[in-house]
Amino acid sequence: MVQHLPTRLDASFAALSDATRRGILVRLGRSDASITDLAEKFEMTLTGMKKHVSVLERAGLVTTEKVGRVRTCKLGPRKLEDETRWMEKYREMLEERLDHLAAFLERTKGDDA
Amino acid sequence: MSTTTTKKATLTLSGDRELQVERIFDAPRERVWRAMTDAKLLAQWWGRGNRLTVETLEVKRGGHWRFVEHTSHGDHGFEGRFREVAPPERLSMTFDWDGMPGHVVVNTMTLHDLGDGRTKLVSTSLFSSRDERDGMLKSGMEGGMNESYAALDRVLAST
Repeated sequence: MVQHLPTRLDASFAALSDATRRGILVRLGRSDASITDLAEKFEMTLTGMKKHVSVLERAGLVTTEKVGRVRTCKLGPRKLEDETRWMEKYREMLEERLDHLAAFLERTKGDDA
Repeated sequence: MSTTTTKKATLTLSGDRELQVERIFDAPRERVWRAMTDAKLLAQWWGRGNRLTVETLEVKRGGHWRFVEHTSHGDHGFEGRFREVAPPERLSMTFDWDGMPGHVVVNTMTLHDLGDGRTKLVSTSLFSSRDERDGMLKSGMEGGMNESYAALDRVLAST
C-alpha cells in the first residue's frame, strides 16, 4: 500500500490540476450525477466529460457505475479515509478490550463458576 | 489489513462497513455474559487497563449505557443504547465515541456455548451506511475541498 502512495498522489495532483475536474468533484459532493448531467452542466461533449471522469476515476477520487445505458458518477473511496482511520481505531480498541476480557476471565476463574 | 488471524481471534472486514471478530474464552457462557453486563465486572476489563467509570448501564432494550475511560492522555467517553438483550446469548447495542461524534457503530455480540466449558464470542460491528457516511462527508466537504484546492493552486503556481 505504502509503496503506491507517490503514484497515487501523482494521480491525484494531476486529476486536481484541472479546474473542470475540481468543479466535477464539488458537483458530485452535492449528489451523484450521470456523465450526461455533468457534460450539460459543464457545457462539454460527452466524450470530453468521459475523459475527465476517467482521470478522476484512476486517481480514486470518483467511482462510476453503469446501469442500463446510464453511467452514474459518485465520489470515490479516497474521500473515505477518515472513516477508514476510525474503523482501524475501533478495531484496535475492540481487540484490546477482548484481550482484557480474556485476562479478566482467567484471573477470576473459580470465583463464581 | 482486511483479515488478521491470531491464535485467539479472527478478524474480517467484509465489504467496507462490517467488522467481524471471533474469540474463544476459556469460561462458561454465563460467566462471559455476566462480565459483559455487570457494571462492577465490566469496570475491571472494559477500560483496557485504564480506570473506567460506568456512568450508566441499563441492560435492557432501549436502555442507555455510558462509560468513561480515564487515560494519561485524558478522558474518553463512550455511549449508546441497547437494541437487543437476550441473556446469555445475544447483546446488541449502538456505540458512539465522543471523539468521533455522529459515527455510530452497531455492535452485536453472540455467545456460543462450546459444550466444554468454553465460549465462542462472535462480535459484529456495522458502521454507518454508505449513504449516511457520504452524507456526513458531504456536509464538511466543500469547505475542506476548497481549502485543499487553494493549497494546491499555491503549490502549482510555485513550480
